Amino acid sequence: MNFSSKLIEDAVMAFSKLPGIGKKSALRLVLHLMNQETVHTEQFSEAILKMRRNIKNCKNCHNVSDQDICNVCNDPHRDRSLLCVVESIRDVMAIEDTGQYRGLYHVLGGVISPIEGVGPDTLYIDQLIIRAQAEEVKEIIMAISPTIEGDTTIYYITKQLKDTNVGVTTIARGVAFGGELEYADELTLGRSIISRIPYGSR
Amino acid sequence: MILKKISLSNFKNYELEQLEFSSGVNCFVGKNGMGKTNLLDAIYYMCMCKSNFAVNDRNIVRKGEPFFRLEGAFLRNELNEKLVCKVIPGTKKTIELDDVPYAKILEHIGHYPIVMIIPDDTLLATEGSENRRRFMDMTLSQMDQDYLRHLMAYNRVLKQRNAALKAFAKQGNFQLGLINTYNQQLLEPAAYISEKRKHFCTGFEPVFAEVYKNVSGDAEQVEVNYKSHLLEEDFEDLLIQTMERDRILQRTTIGIHKDDLVFKIDEFALKKFASQGQLKSFVLSMKLAQYELLYLEKNIYPILLLDDIFDKLDGDRVRQVLELITNGKYGQTFISDTHPNRVQQILTELGIENKQLKIENGKAVLIENEEA
Ligand SMILES: Nc1ncnc2c1ncn2[C@@H]1O[C@H](COP(=O)(O)OP(=O)(O)OP(=O)(O)O)[C@@H](O)[C@H]1O
Ligand SMILES: [Mg+2]
Ligand SMILES: [Zn+2]
Repeated sequence: MNFSSKLIEDAVMAFSKLPGIGKKSALRLVLHLMNQETVHTEQFSEAILKMRRNIKNCKNCHNVSDQDICNVCNDPHRDRSLLCVVESIRDVMAIEDTGQYRGLYHVLGGVISPIEGVGPDTLYIDQLIIRAQAEEVKEIIMAISPTIEGDTTIYYITKQLKDTNVGVTTIARGVAFGGELEYADELTLGRSIISRIPYGSR
Repeated sequence: MILKKISLSNFKNYELEQLEFSSGVNCFVGKNGMGKTNLLDAIYYMCMCKSNFAVNDRNIVRKGEPFFRLEGAFLRNELNEKLVCKVIPGTKKTIELDDVPYAKILEHIGHYPIVMIIPDDTLLATEGSENRRRFMDMTLSQMDQDYLRHLMAYNRVLKQRNAALKAFAKQGNFQLGLINTYNQQLLEPAAYISEKRKHFCTGFEPVFAEVYKNVSGDAEQVEVNYKSHLLEEDFEDLLIQTMERDRILQRTTIGIHKDDLVFKIDEFALKKFASQGQLKSFVLSMKLAQYELLYLEKNIYPILLLDDIFDKLDGDRVRQVLELITNGKYGQTFISDTHPNRVQQILTELGIENKQLKIENGKAVLIENEEA
């Protein structure tokens, strides 16, 4: 693509670095912003900058948060005896969207996969074990993708928890085997959390 | 089962080609490098969703083109079916049966059973054990989807376990908990695969001995034995015993990925004592026995692909094999040869109907039978 303006070219390049955005879409976005009042672009870039500068990870569950402790952990109405273990913050969002879950979360940051350089200590597994011991947790719900790596992670964590009194359940596998959790539609996901089963009883 | 028609677009050196086949014997003849093997591989691809030659999809696409597509008109259990493979490298390939895409490609494996015989089959007898495991896997995967599922699971866990062992060596630590986790994950698929392989070998041997007798015309006693760590001891115990060795060598040294088949002729090891001719008869018989076993299991005649038939055998042997595979125990067959009418002549002498296609640079022309 040939731009008559270096300013536009730079902006297009910046947009096209985002996932799912090609040069053509990037140009459309840039032209759109250009045809609007300057203030719109100012608000736009301010929002993004502020988000990036101030976003935090909850010290407790590692969910995204504006404060040190996230809204879920801070909510006095949530059931503190339930911990739902997920791979990523996207899974938290997916499960929150179902409106079926009233407990707390623990975001691992991935699943164990030495091929990709991810070992148990790369993830927030130790923190989970500490939480399981220290808090009033009774049940840990594994909402992890049903893949080989997901199974490894669940089995590994369950072994680490064997000296605690918490029960381990997994979400019912209405979620297609091999499918990523975030692709499961809300209904299936909501149902599979309600009808979770004790781990090991599959 | 019969492949009635095939359309190829951008498959290796085929730009766009449509061919109709006979339900009996089809011969592809042509000079070296013209596309005979490629055409057989296209048929193989429609059945196994991959090339027989371990090339990745990117190299199958005709040079300079963005995709390839195969379409086959099959007749299976008296039903007409359409099978389409669409492959754009870098994206997920789609396999469609009667316009319905498979959610998982492995669900198609075994739907159209197939056996491909190639000159390299001698590697089965002469080279490493991975060739013989592949032979078992190719047969069992077509018989049983759970086998393939377990095999894929086992291989994935094994890969992770080996990666973990490497990582530990690099970091100078050892996380027993993680290795134990992988050990547990290996147990179920290993037990399943081992049991199936054992069972397979038991059923295979008599069928194989019978075929070998027919192919070689000899009365030697042939044996095929399944060899596996898991036959000797409990796999879980073995994994614990070898943990230290695995840690030092940074890979998993025990398991069904080390299984082997041991071949014998008159109680001697095949590799050491067989002549070249015996060796060729032996591996050819293995593939034909694979065919017969697949038929027995599925009750569908697999497609038989015979690449470069004269590379393996002399004229008399070829005649013997052709007689064997046209005696009613075999179904539709595709044969390739560099010589324009060598195979046809034998078939005509034997009174076997056949269709001859001349392959020239990715184009096929029907050769009319002269006898009529
Ligand atoms: N992706 C591709 N694009 C274009 N041409 C290809 C591609 N892959 C292979 N070929 C060509 O296909 C030809 C080989 O075809 P094939 O192996 O089918 O020959 P053959 O007729 O079986 O020959 P032989 O008698 O030597 O076995 C080679 O000329 C090779 O360049
Ligand atoms: Mg060839
Ligand atoms: Zn939190």
